[in-house]
Amino acid sequence: MDGLISFSHAIGALTTPMSLFNVTWATLLGIAVGMMPGLTATLGVALLTTLTFRLDAGDAILILICTYVGAIYGGSRSAILLNIPGTPANAASTLDGFPLARQGRAGEAMGIATVGSFFGSIVGMLLLVMIAPQLAEFGLKFQSFEFVWLAIFGVVISGRITAMNDPIKGWIAGFLGLLLAQVGQEGIHAYPRFAYGSTDLAGGLGLLPALVGAFGFAEILSVMKHKTYETVRDSGRRILPALHDITRRWWTILRSGVAGTVMGIIPGVGEDMGAWVSYAAARRASQDPDSFGKGNTEGLLAAETGNNAAVPGAIIPVLTLAVPGSAPAAVLLAAMFIHGVRPGPLIMIEFPNFVFEVAAMLFWASVAILVLGLALTRPMLYVLRVPREYLMPLVFVLCVVGSFAITSRVFDIWVMLGFGVLGFALREMDYPMAPLVLGIVLGDLLDKNFRRAMVLTDGSMEPLFTRPISAVLALLTLAVVLWGLAPVRQLAKATFGARP
Amino acid sequence: MAPQRRADLIFAVVLTALALWVLVESWRMPRLAELGVHPMSAPGLTPGLIALVLAGLGLALLWRSLRAPPAAAQDVDALAAANTDWWRALLALVLSLVYALGLLGHLPFLWATGLFVFAFIACFSFQRGRALRSLGGAALMALAVAFGVGLLFEQLFLVRLP
Repeated sequence: MDGLISFSHAIGALTTPMSLFNVTWATLLGIAVGMMPGLTATLGVALLTTLTFRLDAGDAILILICTYVGAIYGGSRSAILLNIPGTPANAASTLDGFPLARQGRAGEAMGIATVGSFFGSIVGMLLLVMIAPQLAEFGLKFQSFEFVWLAIFGVVISGRITAMNDPIKGWIAGFLGLLLAQVGQEGIHAYPRFAYGSTDLAGGLGLLPALVGAFGFAEILSVMKHKTYETVRDSGRRILPALHDITRRWWTILRSGVAGTVMGIIPGVGEDMGAWVSYAAARRASQDPDSFGKGNTEGLLAAETGNNAAVPGAIIPVLTLAVPGSAPAAVLLAAMFIHGVRPGPLIMIEFPNFVFEVAAMLFWASVAILVLGLALTRPMLYVLRVPREYLMPLVFVLCVVGSFAITSRVFDIWVMLGFGVLGFALREMDYPMAPLVLGIVLGDLLDKNFRRAMVLTDGSMEPLFTRPISAVLALLTLAVVLWGLAPVRQLAKATFGARP
Repeated sequence: MAPQRRADLIFAVVLTALALWVLVESWRMPRLAELGVHPMSAPGLTPGLIALVLAGLGLALLWRSLRAPPAAAQDVDALAAANTDWWRALLALVLSLVYALGLLGHLPFLWATGLFVFAFIACFSFQRGRALRSLGGAALMALAVAFGVGLLFEQLFLVRLP
């Protein structure tokens, strides 16, 4: 009951003109960022983090969350009209969204995507309010040993799920991220690792410049590599979906919302898996699965509900365990630290209302995407007509300025460039970026907690396998690794038979 | 050898070499025993163990790359390949690096940014029959970005520019 009261107070507190103004422009900016191929939610949130770091913490985090929600939704526009997902989270939406556009039903598709995204965010928000306080309380039982396994498990499962066809590459990306996080002064004795006398390297590789590089500069190079893409320019007549079309699909919405939220909670997995899992579930449950991929509105609804539900899902572990559920959530985590909020198991003790304030921000962001998404469908199509050659240099300038903004170090621009080239090269070789980012975020957590654990036990690794929660996490990690090995999968298939 | 397989092979060798180098460097890091530091909290412990895992993954990738069957001619997505132009990516990379490493810091931000944006747009959108229009558009965009970004960041967001 206290939680409900706090939540309703938090919603009311954001009805001031300034807050609503921030909600509106930040969501609109997020939609525009998400719509344009080459601009990802991670980049948008990272750049805005650097721009807003002088603002009040509440305003800054509100702006970032609205941009995040807007961007994940906005990517559906280019998925439907260009057959190119505006963000990776909208990849599943291209399967049915673009065929609908080709049938002259682009407006209807965008309306369905808008309504699905709204409900997905709302379902995820409700689950956040219910789950986050309980998870934070559970997180209080975590000590060094558990955090070690949490970091390893996060990287392993993220690598497995984001690289289903080639888990080795996912794990390489994850452990590479963990390794890169070791550069700089370590957190126990302040010894400068891999610095070789450079004060810049001793300061470490900044998370925000790394993210801006891997998701911004790398994306610019990928976009410029392609010569052209097909565009549907006519949105058709109908935009607002019929009410009965939505109400008769309530079960799809609820299932996709829950599935998306759960996928968002898993560290480093993110919104794209939220969309794919929801889409796959909708297809399996459908009476006409063969129509999926040819303009099935239920498929599009499931995908967009799932990806937006993953946004609150990804924020749940950020708030309660200081572990990001996705790349944009990693940026949000960094932003919270910058603004003096300490996410983690103690959040319900140190900042008890913050969880409900975040839920309220998600509520208003959801309302904004519904209103703006439906009202501005046609005007926003003009954004897609901006030629890449005009947009990409602007994006790169923002990447440079954004990387420099927080600490005013030219070195951060070099970090951005380095991660951009590395990210582009890894992407071309089919390495996923999410585990790399997660590794960078979790590297410090792993390092400090592992060494602390070793000091406590005088070098004995036994508690890492015998403490109850550690043992569960260790077994889960082992299960994920075995699941990723082809011989094990083949043996399981031979033993239990292939699925029909 | 198929391009993907060759790329995996080269990357596996590089990764394994990097991991082994990190392992050696981690071993060489001081134990700080003279400061009464517990040996299990030595700075090189975590990077050394991560490097071990990476070396193992690198060797696994190397072994797999060497054992993989040759790719069939149809394995390459012809449509995707036709729409890909590596020279465009390379040009974008060079222009970006020249701006970030060459122009910034040596020219005022407005000039550096304006030149970069103009050059980028001109290189990619230049059309022989409409040269004036292409260059005019590039110049307008360059002015808008240079002044717009400068004003927005410095005056509104109070952020220092490089």
